Amino acid sequence: MTNSINEIENAEVILVSGSNTTEAHPQVARRMLAAVDRGARLIVIDPRRTRLAECAHLHLPLKPGTDIPLLNAMMRVLLDEGLADDLFIEMRTENFLALRDMLNRLDLEETAALTGVPLPLIRQAAQLYGRARKAVICYCLGITQHVCGTENVQTIANLAMLAGQIEKEDTGVDPLRGQNNVQGACDMGALPNMLPSYQGVHNEDYREKFERAWGMRLPEATGLSLVEMTHGGPQGPIRGMYIMGENPMLSDPTLNKVEETLRGLDFLAVSDIFLTETAQLAQVVFPAACFAEKSGTFTNSERRVQMVRQATQPPGECRADSEIIMELSARLGYAMKYGSSGEVMEEIALLSPIYGGMYHDRLEQGWGLQWPCWDRNHPGTPFLHKYYFTRGRGHFMPAGHTAPGEAPDQEYPLLLMTGRIYHQYHTGTMTRKSERLTRECDHAVLQINPTDAKGLCLRQGEPVRLLSRRGEITLAASITDQVASGMVYTTFHFHEAPINQLTNDAFDSGSRCPEYKVCAVRVAKVAP
Amino acid sequence: MPHASATTSSHLLKKDHLKGFLRKLAKEYRLVAPVRNRHNDVLFTVIDDLDAAEIELGEPPQNSLKQFFLPQQERLYSYTNTPDGYDFRPTQTTIPPTVYFGVHPCDLSAVLYMDVVFSRRQRDPFYLRRRQGSVLIGVNCNSPAPNCFCNATGSGPFLEMGSDLQLTDLGDRFLVEIGRAPGHALIEHWQGFFSPSGDKDSAARYQAFLEARGRFSRQVHVEQAIRQLEAGTVPEQVWEELSLRCQDCGGCAYLCPTCTCFTISDQQLDATSGQRLRSWDACTFGGFTAMTGGHNPVQAKTSAIRQRFLHKLRDDVRQNGRPSCVGCGRCVSVCFGGTDIVRFVERACQGSL
Repeated sequence: MTNSINEIENAEVILVSGSNTTEAHPQVARRMLAAVDRGARLIVIDPRRTRLAECAHLHLPLKPGTDIPLLNAMMRVLLDEGLADDLFIEMRTENFLALRDMLNRLDLEETAALTGVPLPLIRQAAQLYGRARKAVICYCLGITQHVCGTENVQTIANLAMLAGQIEKEDTGVDPLRGQNNVQGACDMGALPNMLPSYQGVHNEDYREKFERAWGMRLPEATGLSLVEMTHGGPQGPIRGMYIMGENPMLSDPTLNKVEETLRGLDFLAVSDIFLTETAQLAQVVFPAACFAEKSGTFTNSERRVQMVRQATQPPGECRADSEIIMELSARLGYAMKYGSSGEVMEEIALLSPIYGGMYHDRLEQGWGLQWPCWDRNHPGTPFLHKYYFTRGRGHFMPAGHTAPGEAPDQEYPLLLMTGRIYHQYHTGTMTRKSERLTRECDHAVLQINPTDAKGLCLRQGEPVRLLSRRGEITLAASITDQVASGMVYTTFHFHEAPINQLTNDAFDSGSRCPEYKVCAVRVAKVAP
Repeated sequence: MPHASATTSSHLLKKDHLKGFLRKLAKEYRLVAPVRNRHNDVLFTVIDDLDAAEIELGEPPQNSLKQFFLPQQERLYSYTNTPDGYDFRPTQTTIPPTVYFGVHPCDLSAVLYMDVVFSRRQRDPFYLRRRQGSVLIGVNCNSPAPNCFCNATGSGPFLEMGSDLQLTDLGDRFLVEIGRAPGHALIEHWQGFFSPSGDKDSAARYQAFLEARGRFSRQVHVEQAIRQLEAGTVPEQVWEELSLRCQDCGGCAYLCPTCTCFTISDQQLDATSGQRLRSWDACTFGGFTAMTGGHNPVQAKTSAIRQRFLHKLRDDVRQNGRPSCVGCGRCVSVCFGGTDIVRFVERACQGSL
């Protein structure tokens, strides 16, 4: 997020795209609703009529996978109506002409038709966003989990820069992170091409810095992305894996391939707090300590690094992840000896410039620090890109429409979107152990529009077969007009109905993020 | 109203002597009081070491006394499956006699309400074994917090009756009024700490009451909402809009000192034994009313919060003559969606204009 979460509350216009915020990020949604109570306008771009969409002033129900045309149309309206921030574009950006030429070639009517959103609605949204003094864009996996995920994000950046809605307090672009520490994992270089603090592995200087600190040669080559690893096939290039706190046997697309790959490994080790579907395939399982049983830091969506303090002892043989890693490393011939997580943090501060001033004694105070925090006296950074972007000038990256990897056709006429619900979390490793959450929701449902349901003679709650080119599952139908005709929606939380047996393994060529949001399916009655 | 009770038996306790008095109490009772912890949160806490605890009487604690009488989760029975059949055993717990010190009027009112629920309508042995033998020492509220509205629910800021001893902060001393016999016994037992109070102290108490009454930052028209609920004139739209905004977290019910709904569940521990648990529940959860087949008589979309407010502001008024909301404001600070009881009252009253 370029902003802090609290800043959302002060925005005048909030544009939410591809985020079911009330269910997936209730603490962020709470700020959005508070802003609405203070008079802010809320625009929601989502194929489904989510709860947040019902609270919105404008709901743009686009066809899945048409985010770029929709945002391009909004930008064209900004240009046409003189709402572009010329001064910002002049002072802070580059490559504007390429974007302008692309936009001017657009046929607005045609583009709007492509998205399925009426042009007047797009125009209204653009005007609201363009005229606001302070506007934020919040987006989530509905933007990134597409074959054109990178272009989607770049187009959002284009829109924000075109309207000059960045660089100020309460104004910016805010991707919402899906886990408490996914930001921290990326910051620490859990990416195929980065060392900690986004220092590219291909850069010799960066490598040398880490080599000196660690006393080891580091590989120069970029690593593999998640889907490349879990879809390598039984004879894939990777022969051994160590998986920590991840359950690809439920969370990755085209599960048959994942299973084939993991079973084909020479060796698999998994550490997790429960015996997940993935851990069941492992030769070695390390029982890990959970968040309350260890100390350290988590970095959240708003780049805030916060202390986690051990509240209780790990049960049985469980150990903190860091202890497991250190032990493993020692057995592999590289002694890692950190006496405490505070000592690890000192090394992070030494090697990762954006964490340069973060030490446990500082983090102990108050609510932690937001990176970039360059040195011990730096107060942290509530919002990004004041005065300059990380790369200097903001580079407009014009993009056109990219069709999803798989479109509905005669054989598989419905478009399947996948997402999350309020009462379960990811693959349910933790939440499905809770009796109360189970009572609230314990099985997968397929949201289907009344028209489509009528065509299939479905009753509410009836079990149905859901088929794609890759697999088939059975789950209960939930007939609702939250989804438009021609689309269905379900979640990936339930191992009894593993939706990722159906999803497509097409992925974005830039980020390697799989296209979970669109694939073609067919619904059939369960034979009596 | 509050000044009218010219108690014949009020005393003074100098603040300097408070700790000494508590130390005596702690020898014979378990002591629970609002304590500020190292994260700056004030919570009702069992005090083991009086000298290490920072007792905070000015700021309302984040938790209420509910958890001490109705724990969030309590094992009621355990069972074993023997060859002769099931063997059920109620959980044996000895609850030490406890002094709850520094209880604000809202939380005191809440305990009195729980007494009605768990002893008058139906005697609940698990509640009563925790409640019996407890001594309540209240403290009147001189500075209501920003979300407080006990003045609108008739449960504060000063309380006349209900506690065993009732304290009023008069600067360097507490005025101590005896509410019930156990309180009298405490003063009798440790007479040395107390001195008689005079008219001057009663006047100071009244002055403190007047000042406290003027310090509420919210005007919440609870009475008007009660009338509207009784008359059935709260517009449907109000329920729908608030239900849509409710984010289903249950925070209001869990923090509420008078939300006493619970659920019972049986947990198998191994092949031959298990336990029966009682845990807090909330009427705002879909699963609270959902039936096994999936049908839910309460439509979450339009009615998720209806039961909650009808119960607190209509049904309890019918049964007990007063609402079971005590105006502590906890739900106001915790609510995600802005659907707390104050919002409801405001919206309901707007609807009548």
